Order: sequence, then structure tokens, then C-alpha cells
Amino acid sequence: MSANSIIETKKATIQFNGLTAVDNVDFRMQAGEAVGIIGPNGAGKTTFFNLLTGLYLPTEGNILFAGRDITRVPPYKRVTLGIIRTFQLVSVFDSLPVIDNLALSTIRFGENYGSKWKFFFTDVHGEKIMKNCLDQLDVMGISDKADLMTSELSYGDKRKLEIAVALSLNPKILLLDEPFAGLSDQEITEVSVIINKVKATLSLVIIEHKISRIVDIVKRLCVMHEGRLIADGPPEQVLSDATVREVYWGKEEGLTCSV
Amino acid sequence: MERADTRLIKRSIWQYLDVPIIAVAFLIILPLLGINRTTDFIIFCIFVLGFNILYGFMGRLSFGHMLYLGTGAYTMTIFSEHISQNPLLAILASIVAGALIGVILGPIIVRTTGACFALINLAFCQVGFFLVLVAFSRQTGGEDGMSANFSKLSFLNFGNKAVVFGFVLFCLLLTYYFLKKFTSSPFGVLIKSIKENETRVKFLGYNTFTYKWVTFIISTTISAFSGALSILNYGYVTPSFIDPTRAVEVIFAALIGGSGSLYGSIIGGVVYMTISNYLASYIPRWEMFLGFALLVVVFRLRTGVWGFIVGMFNKRQKVLEG
Repeated sequence: MSANSIIETKKATIQFNGLTAVDNVDFRMQAGEAVGIIGPNGAGKTTFFNLLTGLYLPTEGNILFAGRDITRVPPYKRVTLGIIRTFQLVSVFDSLPVIDNLALSTIRFGENYGSKWKFFFTDVHGEKIMKNCLDQLDVMGISDKADLMTSELSYGDKRKLEIAVALSLNPKILLLDEPFAGLSDQEITEVSVIINKVKATLSLVIIEHKISRIVDIVKRLCVMHEGRLIADGPPEQVLSDATVREVYWGKEEGLTCSV
Repeated sequence: MERADTRLIKRSIWQYLDVPIIAVAFLIILPLLGINRTTDFIIFCIFVLGFNILYGFMGRLSFGHMLYLGTGAYTMTIFSEHISQNPLLAILASIVAGALIGVILGPIIVRTTGACFALINLAFCQVGFFLVLVAFSRQTGGEDGMSANFSKLSFLNFGNKAVVFGFVLFCLLLTYYFLKKFTSSPFGVLIKSIKENETRVKFLGYNTFTYKWVTFIISTTISAFSGALSILNYGYVTPSFIDPTRAVEVIFAALIGGSGSLYGSIIGGVVYMTISNYLASYIPRWEMFLGFALLVVVFRLRTGVWGFIVGMFNKRQKVLEG
């Protein structure tokens, strides 16, 4: 089909006990694009991510990555292909030191090693692995906290750590699920600076509630409502769309009637 | 901003001294307990280590670990009866048998978590117990068990209790060293991560099933190894080596010492064995006190004895620093 579309869904549908969470979504993006997905609570945004990353299998429809059908490929293999995600509720390993969180992702499934056995016997706190981990933490500006326990970090720092882990996996496409939720204004600025910096090297999809936070990151906005994709295009165009305004702010004439 | 390189790469000297410390500790308690009991303690500690790699590190609690111990014990005995009386070969055969049972049962068992994991192990242990006690009673001696005879090796005479002690201590240190290497590698981080959030590990690009299986095999192999060593020490096998009800012992030991730590496993093993060996000679219903000990662990020492010691040490360090 399309030679350079990085990810594509064809009539992707998922139902849970009769409830259609994602309904017939045809979505397609080019390599290098940055797309924002917005929509009210329960619109199916996160479920759509779960379909793309393989946590759920679609009831119907197909998912293509770089032209290859990955509908039935398990999550861990999609990661090795380069589909990397973060989670809505920040998901790092609280019981490990900060630096150990990065160990598994920086060694990249052992491909940075000569042999498989080294995965079982090299010291994880050896210089080589630690240097890579610290470099990644430097990118997010939290390398001074490397030897703390992860549970001691603030929520914002945990979010930064999670993004550091995602970046260290060398994503071809990065899926961020509400990366700004629960962050302070200053942290939001810091994180969006970093996202803006890395987005040149990869394809990016961001789910976000508040449109204002992502309009300067993405060039294209998709709106989801009740599992369907109801609008798709440049932010200005999407935000002036009548159906989108209705979903977000309610019917305008309805308001006038009630007054 | 200071990078944490130096702090992270700098090791405390204690990390290199752990093997000698364990060796010296057992040599110190040797005259207190006598050679038979100390050997017994050490073998039990190896079993706790094997159990704890699965429970403490990967967070999978098994109620049926006696099966793997029993596999080692019975392989050891039957091998010496039918194939060769060379004790080293028999131990090797037991290790292979332990690994094999892990390879075979692993794919079924490691798919499950929580209560299901605990009970499926127990179920297999019951099957093993039945096979030994009833179905193959002619080969295993049934309820009476059978004795194992080993030939004397010119360089290792296992007829001498001191030699057995030395050999068993060497085995413990070897197991400890092997597991220490394992748990401080990326693989160690991986299994600790599985304990916390398995789904997240999948999204780091790892097929968790394979690694859970590998960990399970390591655990069954070490358990079988300790089973084989107990036969070397006792010279006979009975169905109590595979009795499902005895699984509690190793769980208690792991909890008392502190799950998720190798030192903790050894301390737990020693503490449990001390309670069960010595309290039993003074108080007939000593198990009640084991229950009290467990209550103390659950309410006061959540991280076990070893976790408590580490916590105390860290607190002091912080007070001293500032």
C-alpha cells in the first residue's frame, strides 16, 4: 500500500462484552510525523494505544507497522520492532534503584553484548552499562538522582525516568499516553522541551486531555469520541470543526435554548 | 551537576568478603552444634537459596518445592542402587534430574501467578508423593524408604563426616556465588522487575515467559542439588523428602531471613533449623513457637531478619552522615 507509512490501522475494532471501545478506526501516519490524539474521558484513546502496542488484540481489523501486518505480534516483539510506549499512570519499578530501571532498556535485549551468556553473568553495575544509563538520565536532566530508590522520586521525576527508559529503547515510533498529567507547570515545560528535541528523530503519537499543551508539539490532531475517530487534520482546522466543538463544549444552540 | 558515576561504581569491601564471611560463620557454629547438625543446616540453607530465587526475587511463591528436593534425593539413591555408586556422578545425575523436571513442568507452572502458582506446585508435589509412596513403591521402598551406599573415592572419602561437612560447605559457597552473579546481572534486574510489574517488562522488549522458565529451572536444580546432598549426609531416603506438608519449612525460613536477599536466605535457614532442632528437644509442641516467630516477622520485621539488620545499619549511617 503506502510505502512510507510507519503505522496504520485498518478498520480496527475492539469490543469488551458488547461495549465497543474502539470502533472502526482507520488511522495512518507517515514516518517522522507528530500526531496528537485528544478526546473526552472514555473516548477509547488509551485502548487505541493498547491495540497499537499489542496489549489487546483487536476484535476485527488489522494493524500494520511499516507495511507489515503486526496484528498478532506479541507486545515484546513490537518493542524490538521499535514501537515504544509510556503509560497513563507512570510505570517505573519502584523497588529498584533509579539506575536499574534503565539497565534493561539500555542493553537492548542483549544486542549490545557479544554473547547471550553475558546477560546472565555480567555485573549490571559495571562501568559500561552504567555509563549508558547515566547518559540517558542526563538527557532528562535527572542523572544526579541515579542512586536513589525510585520510590523516593517525585511524580514528575518518575515521569522523566519513564520517558528516559522509552527513549533508551531506540523508538521508531513513540507513543506517549498523557505524559503531562500530574506534572507541575515547570515540569511540563521541561518535558515538552525534551519531546520537541527528540521528535525530529522519530514518529510521535501523544494522547492528551488539554489541547493547549500539545498544539506547539504536533502538526496534526486526531479527535476520538465514543471509540470513533471523528476528526483528523491540522490543529486549527480540527479545533474549529463543528462536531469537535460539540463533543468538547456541548451544543451551542442547545445552550441558547436553555437560557 | 555531579554525575553519580563514582558513587555507583565504588564498591564497599563487604561485597568481596561475603563468601569468606559465610564460610567463617559456619566454621564458628560448627563446634557449637556438632558436625552432623551443621552439615544439616548448610544443606537446608542451599534449599532455601533455591526456593528464594523464585519467591524472594521473582515473587512466585511455591507450596510444592519438596517435589524438587525429593527429585534430587530419590535420583541420588536410585542412581547409586542401579547405575553407579560413585557419589559425584550420582550428585551430577540429581542435578540433571532437577533441571529436567524444571524444563518439563516449567511451561505449565510459570504461566500462572499468585495462589494459582502456589497450588499448581503443590498439586505436582502431591502427584510426586503418590508416585514415590504407592505407584513405584517397589523401586523406592515405599513408606520404609531405602538406603544409599556410595563407593569410597580416593580423594574424597564421604565415609568421613568432616569430609562431608567440607564438601557441603563448598557446595553452599558455590551455590551462593553462582546466585550472586546471577542476581547482580541484568538477568537479576529482570526477575526483580517481573516481581514488581510483569506487563511493564514485556513493554521493555523481553519475553518474560522464557526468563520465568529459566528462573524456575534454576530453582528446581538447586533444590534437587540440596536433596542429593542430604542423601549424601544421611545415607537413606524416605518419603518425608518429598512430603508436600514439609513445604512450609522452606517458606518459613525464607520469610524469617528476609525474602529477596541471598544473605537473608542463609540466615533464615540457620534460624529455622535452630528453632526446629533445639526447641523441639525442650518443648514437644514447638511448632507453636514457630507460629509466634512468624507473627513477629509479619508484624515487626516485614523485611525479615536480614532486612532488619540492613535497615538498622542504613539508619545509623544516615545519622552519622548528617
